[in-house]
Amino acid sequence: MATYTRTNVYANGGTFSDPTILWYARGVKAMNARKLADPLGWRFYAGIHGFDRPMWTALGYLKSADKLPSSALQKRFWKQCQHGSWYFLPWHRGYLLALEACIRDEVVKLGGPKTWALPYWNYFGPNNENQLPPAFASPAWPDGKTNNPLYVKQRYGPNDDGNVFIPLDQVNLNAMTVPEFTGVASGGDPGFGGVDTGFEHGGSPHGDLESQPHDYVHVFTGGSNPQNPNLPGLMSDPDTAGLDPIFYLHHANIDRLWEVWIQSTVSQGNPTQTSWKNGPAGSGERAFSMPLPPTGTPWNYTPGQMADLSKLDYTYDDVTSAAEAPELAALAGATPARKPAMATKKKKKVELVGASQESVRISGSHQIVASVQMDERARGKVSASLAAASAAESASAPDRVFLNLENIRGLVDGTAFKVYVNDRLAGTIALFGVRKATVAGGEHAGQGITHVVEITKIVDELNLRNELDVDALDVRIVPAKAVPDEAQVTIGRISIFRQEQ
Amino acid sequence: MTDAARERLQVRLPLFAVSGVAWLLLATRPHAMHGTTVSARVTASALMFAAMMLPMIGPPLRHVRDRSLARHRLRAIALFAGGYSLLWIAAGVALILAANSIGAIAATFLAVAIWQCSPLKQHCLNRCHSHATLSAFGPSADRDALLFGLRHGLWCIGSCFGLMLLPMLLSRGHLAAMAIVTLWLAGERLETPAAPRWQLRGPGKTLRIIAAQARRSMAFVFSARL
Repeated sequence: MATYTRTNVYANGGTFSDPTILWYARGVKAMNARKLADPLGWRFYAGIHGFDRPMWTALGYLKSADKLPSSALQKRFWKQCQHGSWYFLPWHRGYLLALEACIRDEVVKLGGPKTWALPYWNYFGPNNENQLPPAFASPAWPDGKTNNPLYVKQRYGPNDDGNVFIPLDQVNLNAMTVPEFTGVASGGDPGFGGVDTGFEHGGSPHGDLESQPHDYVHVFTGGSNPQNPNLPGLMSDPDTAGLDPIFYLHHANIDRLWEVWIQSTVSQGNPTQTSWKNGPAGSGERAFSMPLPPTGTPWNYTPGQMADLSKLDYTYDDVTSAAEAPELAALAGATPARKPAMATKKKKKVELVGASQESVRISGSHQIVASVQMDERARGKVSASLAAASAAESASAPDRVFLNLENIRGLVDGTAFKVYVNDRLAGTIALFGVRKATVAGGEHAGQGITHVVEITKIVDELNLRNELDVDALDVRIVPAKAVPDEAQVTIGRISIFRQEQ
Repeated sequence: MTDAARERLQVRLPLFAVSGVAWLLLATRPHAMHGTTVSARVTASALMFAAMMLPMIGPPLRHVRDRSLARHRLRAIALFAGGYSLLWIAAGVALILAANSIGAIAATFLAVAIWQCSPLKQHCLNRCHSHATLSAFGPSADRDALLFGLRHGLWCIGSCFGLMLLPMLLSRGHLAAMAIVTLWLAGERLETPAAPRWQLRGPGKTLRIIAAQARRSMAFVFSARL
C-alpha cells in the first residue's frame, strides 16, 4: 500500500478549497523564499530542468543581485532535462519525486499533512478540465492577498490572451495505442517513450507521448507575450518551464499516463536493456541527480529504479487503462486498430518514400503547401503491403507510414501548427524546445528538431480511394496561431517514411 | 538490442572492420608512414585516416543512409564518404609534411594544447554534430551528399588536426601515441555540443566514457553467453 497518492487537481473543483492545492501554494511560497543558489529553492529546481541567463533576466527571474549557484552545484544539478530520448519519462519521474519531497518538507514544517502529494492536471478529463485549474488562474489567495504563487503572469494560453486552456481538438492520446516503448530516429515510429539515442545528443525526434500531448500542453499553456512575441510564456520554453508551478501538475499527468500505458493490454512494457536501466551514467555521462531535503543531499537515480511504480511508494488515484477510460477510447479512434502486438525481435525496416525538394518558411498565419514527391518503387511497396494486409485471412500487417518534418528551426518556442496531408488532418505539432535546438552552441548543434507524425490511416484511406498512386502528396502546414516573423520558423525538409511491420 | 542500436551497429561494424585492417597494416608495416614519394605520403595519409577517423563517422553516415531513397543509398553513401575521405587524405598529407618540417616540438605541443582549449575548437566539435538536410531526388541528391561529406570533413579536420599532429612529432612510440590520440578524439566526438568558450579540456570525460563503454561491452559479452 503506497504512502502517497497523487490526486486529480479537479477532485474538489481545482480551487483553494482543496487542501492539496492550498498546501501546494504554501509549499511553493516557502521554496520561492529561498535564494537562487539554495539547492532546495524554487528557482534552483527550475534550473535543474533548464536555465538560460538572458531569458531568465528578461522575464524577471534573475536579478543582478542574485548570486548563481556555485559551478560545482551547477555542474552536478543544473540543465539536466532529458528530452528527445528514451530517458524522457524516467528522468522526469525522479524530478517530480524530488520536487514533491521538497514541497512536502515545507508543508510539514508549516503543520501540513505528512502524506501530501502532487496533484495532476488531466486536461482530458470530462468536466471542462482542459481549463487551467481556478487556483492557478487567480492572482489572489482565498484571503484576498494578491501574491498567489500559483498564479503566473507569463502564462498566456493558446490565444496569447491570458485565458489558459488546452484546445482539445489539437491534442490527442494516439501515443497510448503504441505498443513499443523504444523507437527509432531513422524516420519511423519514435516509440511511446522515445528513441534509444546511444551516445548521441540532440537531433532525435521526440517520443510519441513527449510529442503529444506533452509538448503541446507546454506550448499552449505558456503561449507567447502578446506585446513581445520574442518572449515566450514560461511553460513554452524548456529553459523556463520549471519556473511555472503548473509544470509539475502537467508532468504528473504525463507520468500518470506512462503508468496507464504500462497497465494497458497494448503496451509491451518498459525497455529491458541495461543501457536504458543504467541511464546515461552507464555511458560515462552525468548521473541523474536531485538535491533532497532537509539539507540538499544529492540523490542519484537511474531509469531502472524509476521503472516500477509499486517500488516507489506512490500511486495515482486513477490509472484506468486506456481501453476503459471513456475519454481515451474516444481519442484513440485516430489511429487504425492494430493486430495484437507480439514482442518481436525482427528489426522493422524503415525506408524513405518521398520528400519535398525545398525548405519552407512559416510566418504569420499563412498556410504553406509543400509538395512531397514520392518514389515510385517505395510507394509501390506501401501499396503492396496494404493490399496484402487487407486480403482475406491475411496474417501480415500493413506498413506504417510516417510524416517527418525535418530540421525544424526557430528562434522562439511557443508556436504550433496543424499538418494536413491531401487535406486530411495528420496531427498538430508544437515546437517545444526548438529555440534550444536551433542555437549554434546548443545541444542540437543548430540543426533544429525533427518531428514525426503517423499518417498510416490517411495513406490507407488514399489507397482505398485509388488516390495513392500519384507522383506527390500535398502537405499543408497551418499555424495554430500567428507565427511572428522574428521567430524565423523554417522546416528543412518534409518527408514520408514507411516502416515494415 | 533495440532497433536503433542495431541500426548503429550495422554501420559501425564495417567501419571498424576497415579501420582494424588499417591498424593491422600500420602495426606490421612500420615504414608505411615514412615514405617520401607523393604516393607514399598519400598511402600513409590514407592509412592514418582509415585507422583513426573511420570509427567516428558512423553518425553522419547513418544520416545519409537513413534519409536517402533506397535506390540512391549506396551512391549517396559513396559520395559522402568520397568527399569526406578525399578532403581528409589531402589534409593528412599536409599534416605529414608539416610534422616533418617542425623543429620546435615542445612549442608545437604547447600550441596544440592552447588550440585544444580554444572556443574555435569547440565550434568545430559542435559542427561535427550537425547533419545537413539532404535532397532526395535527382542531381540535387548527389550534390547534397557530396557537399555534406566535404563540409563534415572540414569540421572534422578542424576538430582533430591538432592532436593528430602530435604522434608524428615523437621519435618513437608512434603507434601507441596514435592509438591514444584516437581514443581521445573519439571521446571528444561523443561529447554534447556546448557553447564555445575558453576552457581547460582534459581527457577526464573521455576516460569516463571509454571506461563505461568497456564495462558495457564486457557486460554485453557476458550476457550474450548466458
